[in-house]
Amino acid sequence: MITFGAVVRRGGGWLPLIALGGLVGNLGMLALPEVLGHAVDALVAGRGSSMWLALAGGLIALGIVFELSDAYTGAACVAGTTAWLRNRIVGHVLAVGPDGARRFATGDLVTRVSNNAVDAAKAGPTVMTMATAVLPPIGSLLLLAYIDIWLAVALLVGLVLVSVVIRAFALRTAEVIRAYQRAQGRIAGRLTESLVGARTIASAGTVELEERRVLAGLPELHEQGTRMWQVLSRSSAQATFVGPLVMVAVLVAGGIELAAGRISAGDLFAASQYAVIGGGLGPLTSVFSRLARARAGVSRVTEVLAVEPVAYGDRHLPDGPGRLEFRGVGVRTDDSVLLSDVDLVVPGGAAVAVVGESGAGKSVLVGLAARLREPDDGTILLDGVPLAELDHDTLRAAVGCAFERPVLIGHTVGDAIGLGLPAEQITSAAVATHAHEFVSRLPQGYDTPLTESPMSGGELQRLGLARAWHAGRLLVLDDATSSLDMVTEMQISRTLTNDHGHRTRLIVTHRAATAARADLVVWLAAGQVRAVDTHEALWARPDYREVFG
Amino acid sequence: MNRELRFATESLPRKPLVALVLWSIPEALPASLSGIAVARAVDTGFLAHRPLIGLAWLGALVVAAGFGGIGSRQVYRLLGLVVEPFRDELVRRVVGGALRHSLRGRSDDGALARLTHQVEIVRDTYAGLIVVLRGFVVTIIGVVIGLLSISPIIALLMLPPFLLGFGLFLGTLGMASNRYRASVRADEQAAIAAGAVLAGIRDVVARGAEEHARQMVAVPVAAQAAAERAIARVSVARTCCFAVGGWVPMIVLLVAGPWLHRRGFTAGDIMGGLTYVLIGLQPMLNNLIAAVGTSGLRLTVTLRRILDASELPAEPARRAVRATSGYDLAVHGLTFAYGPQAEPVLRELDLTVAQGEHLAIVGPSGIGKSTLAGLLCGLLQPDAGTVTLGGVPTADLATDRLAALRTLIPQEAYVFGASVRDNLRYLNPTADTERVDLAVRAVGADALLARLGGLDAELVPAELSAGERQLIALVRAYLSPAPIVVLDEATCHLDPVAEARAEEAFAERGGTLIVIAHRVSSALRARRVLVLDGVTATEGDHSELLASSALYRELLGHWEAGSVVGSMIV
Repeated sequence: MITFGAVVRRGGGWLPLIALGGLVGNLGMLALPEVLGHAVDALVAGRGSSMWLALAGGLIALGIVFELSDAYTGAACVAGTTAWLRNRIVGHVLAVGPDGARRFATGDLVTRVSNNAVDAAKAGPTVMTMATAVLPPIGSLLLLAYIDIWLAVALLVGLVLVSVVIRAFALRTAEVIRAYQRAQGRIAGRLTESLVGARTIASAGTVELEERRVLAGLPELHEQGTRMWQVLSRSSAQATFVGPLVMVAVLVAGGIELAAGRISAGDLFAASQYAVIGGGLGPLTSVFSRLARARAGVSRVTEVLAVEPVAYGDRHLPDGPGRLEFRGVGVRTDDSVLLSDVDLVVPGGAAVAVVGESGAGKSVLVGLAARLREPDDGTILLDGVPLAELDHDTLRAAVGCAFERPVLIGHTVGDAIGLGLPAEQITSAAVATHAHEFVSRLPQGYDTPLTESPMSGGELQRLGLARAWHAGRLLVLDDATSSLDMVTEMQISRTLTNDHGHRTRLIVTHRAATAARADLVVWLAAGQVRAVDTHEALWARPDYREVFG
Repeated sequence: MNRELRFATESLPRKPLVALVLWSIPEALPASLSGIAVARAVDTGFLAHRPLIGLAWLGALVVAAGFGGIGSRQVYRLLGLVVEPFRDELVRRVVGGALRHSLRGRSDDGALARLTHQVEIVRDTYAGLIVVLRGFVVTIIGVVIGLLSISPIIALLMLPPFLLGFGLFLGTLGMASNRYRASVRADEQAAIAAGAVLAGIRDVVARGAEEHARQMVAVPVAAQAAAERAIARVSVARTCCFAVGGWVPMIVLLVAGPWLHRRGFTAGDIMGGLTYVLIGLQPMLNNLIAAVGTSGLRLTVTLRRILDASELPAEPARRAVRATSGYDLAVHGLTFAYGPQAEPVLRELDLTVAQGEHLAIVGPSGIGKSTLAGLLCGLLQPDAGTVTLGGVPTADLATDRLAALRTLIPQEAYVFGASVRDNLRYLNPTADTERVDLAVRAVGADALLARLGGLDAELVPAELSAGERQLIALVRAYLSPAPIVVLDEATCHLDPVAEARAEEAFAERGGTLIVIAHRVSSALRARRVLVLDGVTATEGDHSELLASSALYRELLGHWEAGSVVGSMIV
C-alpha cells in the first residue's frame, strides 16, 4: 500500500533540485525586469550601467542554468517513478493472484499500469513546482505596488477583465465539447456494432452499406467541430483584445507617474514586464489541474495495491503419494454459494474425474486444489499438509494446472511452455503432450515468436498441458483436453497414467469416455458433491447420464 | 518528405489557408506594434512631458489590439474550415480500414482508440501546428518591421542570434523525432508486456512463475524509462537553442547599450528593443519549439499509426469463370490450417450437400466446425482441395453473387441501432411487412417483437440479451432470398424449445440447411450428420453413425462399459 506522500518521496534526490530550480528560476524571472529597468536608467544617465548590466547578465545566466536542469530533472524523476510504480502494480497483482485480481478487468489493469502510473508519477515534480508557481503572479503584484501603488491597482483591474473572459470561455467550451463528444460517441458506437457483426457483414457482402451507416454521423461531427472553432474564435478574439489591455492599463498608470516624475523610465519598463508576468495566470491553473490528475492517478494505483496478497506458508511436503483431501470446504460470493460442505479424499496416484452440469462448481473445486482461490470455509490438504501452509516454490512444484483456454505468455513458443524452465524440460513436456510435433514444424521451432504462430484450440490446449507437465504430485486438468481429438486425448491420458511416479490427477471433463477412464468420478451438482463412485456404477443412474447429454 | 508530412500538407485546402495567413497579419499587430509603441510613448510622450502623446501611442496599441481581436476571430474560424475536412478524412479512413480488416478475420482492438483518441490527437496537433507556424512567420515579420522602424542597427544586433537559435533548434529535430518514436515504441512494448502478463495471471500463478513474469514486464518498463530520459536530454538541447535564440539577443542589446547611448539612442529605443525580445521573439520561439518539437512529433507518429492501420492489402479479384448451375455444395479433398506450419484442422475432407438437404455438423468445441462453415460459405479459402457452389469454386464468385447464394448466421449475432424492420430486412431490403411478419412468427420471435414495440420501434443493441439478438438474426436469415442457409451455432443462446422451433422453421423453409450444432439434439433433427474429430470426419445418418462413430455415441451421451472407447485405455 502506498500513499500520495510516498509517491512524492519516491522522487528522492531529484525533488530538491526541481524545487530549487523552480524557486531560483521564478525569483530570477521576477528580479530581471527591475534590474533591466535600472540598467535602462543607468544607460540613459550614462553612468553606473556596468553593474546593472552585469547583474542582468548574471540573472539571465542563472535562469538558463536552472532552465537546463529543469528540462532534465522533471522528466528523469517522472521516468524513474513511473517505472517503479509499474513494477509495483504488476508485482502486486501477481502476488494477489487470480482470485484477488478478479474484481479488475484486464484492460482496466493495463490502463492503470500504462496511463495512471504515469499521472501518479508526476506527483513529486507537481508538488515541488506548485510551491513556487505562486511566486510570479503574487511577486509581480507586490513589486508593482513597490514601484508605485497605482500600477498594482491597474494590474488588478486588468486581471479582473481577463478572468471574466477565461471563465466565459471555459463555460462555453465545456458545452460544445460535450456535444462534439456525443457525435463522436455515436460514430464509435455504430462502428463497434459493425465490428461485432464482422462475420455477418463479411458473408452478406454489405461492407459499403456498413461504411455508410457508420459514417452517417460524420456530418453531425463536422458541424459540432465547426461550432467548436466558432466558440474558440470568439474567445480568442476576446483574449487577443483583452491580453494587451492589462499591459496598456499598467503603462497608462505608469506613463502618468513617469510624466509627473514620480517614477523613472526604467521603472516604467519594469512595470510593463510585471504586467505581462502578473497577467499570466495560466501556469498557475495548469499546476492545479496537474495536481488533480496526479492525485487521481495515485488513487487508481492504490486501489490495486490495497488488495491483500496471497500469503504462502513455509512448510515443505513430506514424502507421499499426492493424496488430496478437502475438509468441510465452502466457497461463497456476495450473493451465491459456489461450493458447500465438500468433504472429499482423492487417493494418491489416482485419476479422478470431476463432472457436473455447467455452473455446478467444477472449476471452483479444482481451482481450490491448485490454490488459485481460497476457500471461505474448510481446508485443502496435500499429503496431510494444508495448501495454505506450503511454501510458494514447494506448492507450485508439486501442483500443476492446465486450463480449457490457456493464456500463453512469452515471446516465443518455448518461453510460453517453459516460463523460465530449461530447454530440455520444455521439449520433454512438449513430447509428452504431443505438442512437439506441431511446434517442430513452426519456422523457428521453439524459438518462433508467439505472434507468428496461429494455433487451433487443440494446439493451444496441448501447449497448456505441456506448461503444467512439470507438476510433481498433482496435476489438475480443468477441461484442458476439450478441444483435442479423441485419439490425441487418449494418447495423452495414457502417458499420464504411465508416466513417472503416477501423479494424482484431477480432471474436469464433459466427456463420458474420459470419466470412464478415471479411477473415480466426483459428481458435483449445485456446489455440492452428489456422489463419488466409478463411472460404471454411476452410469446406472439416469440423472447422471443426463450430465453428458 | 515522409508520407505523414506529405499527407498533412496535401490535405491543406488552398483558399482558406491563404485567407488564414492574410488574417494573421492584423492578429499579429499588437505584438508587432508593442515595442515601437512603448518606445515612442516614453520618448515623445511621457519623458517629453507631453503625456497626451504618450497616451495616444498607448491608445494606438489598444486599437491594434482591436484589430488583433478581429484577425484572431477570422483566423480561428478559417482554421475550422482547414481542420474539420482533414478530421473527416481521417474518420473515413479509420472506419473504412477497421471494417475491412475485421471482415478479413483480423480483430482490430485498436479501432475505437484510433477513432476517438488518436484522430483527436491529430486534429488538435494539426490545428496547433498551423496556428503556431503561421503565427511565427507573421509575428517575426512584424517584429522585424517594428525593430527596423526603431533602428536598423538594433535590428541587426538582435536578429542574428535569434536566427542562430532557431537554426540550431531545427538541427535537433531529426534526433528528437527518432527518440520520440523510440519512446512511443517503448511505451507500447511495456503496455503489451504488462497486458500479456495481466491477462495471464491465473496461468502464471498456477505455474508459480511470478518472478519470471515480473521480469518479463520489468525489462520493457526499464527500457521505456531509459527512452524517456533520452527525450529529456533532447529537451536540454532545446533549452540551449532557446537560450541562444531568446536570451542572447537581449544580452547583445544590453552589452551594446552604453555604445548605443553614446550614439544618441534613447531610453525609449532600448526599451522598445527589450520589449520586442520579451513579448515578441521569446514567446514566438518558445511556442515554435513546443509546437514543432512536441505536437509536430506527436502528429507524425499518430498520423502514421492511423494511415498504417487503414492501409489494406489488395484483395485478389474474384471473377466468375462460368455461371453457377443449381445450388449443390461440393467439397473435394479440402485441407485447411490456421497457419502455414500449423497442423491442419480439416484434412482431405470430401462432402456433398445437395440442393434442399438438411445437414448437421457435430464435434467437440475448437475442433474446426466454424472454420468449415467459413470455408463452405467462401469466407475462407482452403489450403488444398476445392469448395464449389453450383459447380463454381467459391473463390471465383463475387461477394454479392455469393451473398445471393448462401446466408451464414454466426454465433455472435449482428444487430445494429436502427429500426427493428431495418434489422430484420438486412439481407432482403425489399421484403414487405406481410413477409416479415410471417418470418417472425415462423422462427418464434413474435413475443420478442411485441416486447420491442413492433417493426418500427428503434432497436437498441445493448438492451437485447444474447438469445434475443440471435432471434433477430434468425428472422433475418429466414427472410434472406439465398437458397442455402448455414447456421453456425446461431441458436446457442436459445433454450432447447426455442432452438427446436427455429430449426424446424428453417427445415420447412425449403432450400439447403446446414446447422453447426451446439446441442446434439440438432443432429437428431437433421437427415444427415457430419462428425468432425480433428483428424477424421465421419458422415452418415443417425443410425449409421451410432454404429460407426465412437465420438458420435459419446457426444450423444451413450456410453457402455467395455465399449471400444473404454477398452482402448482401461
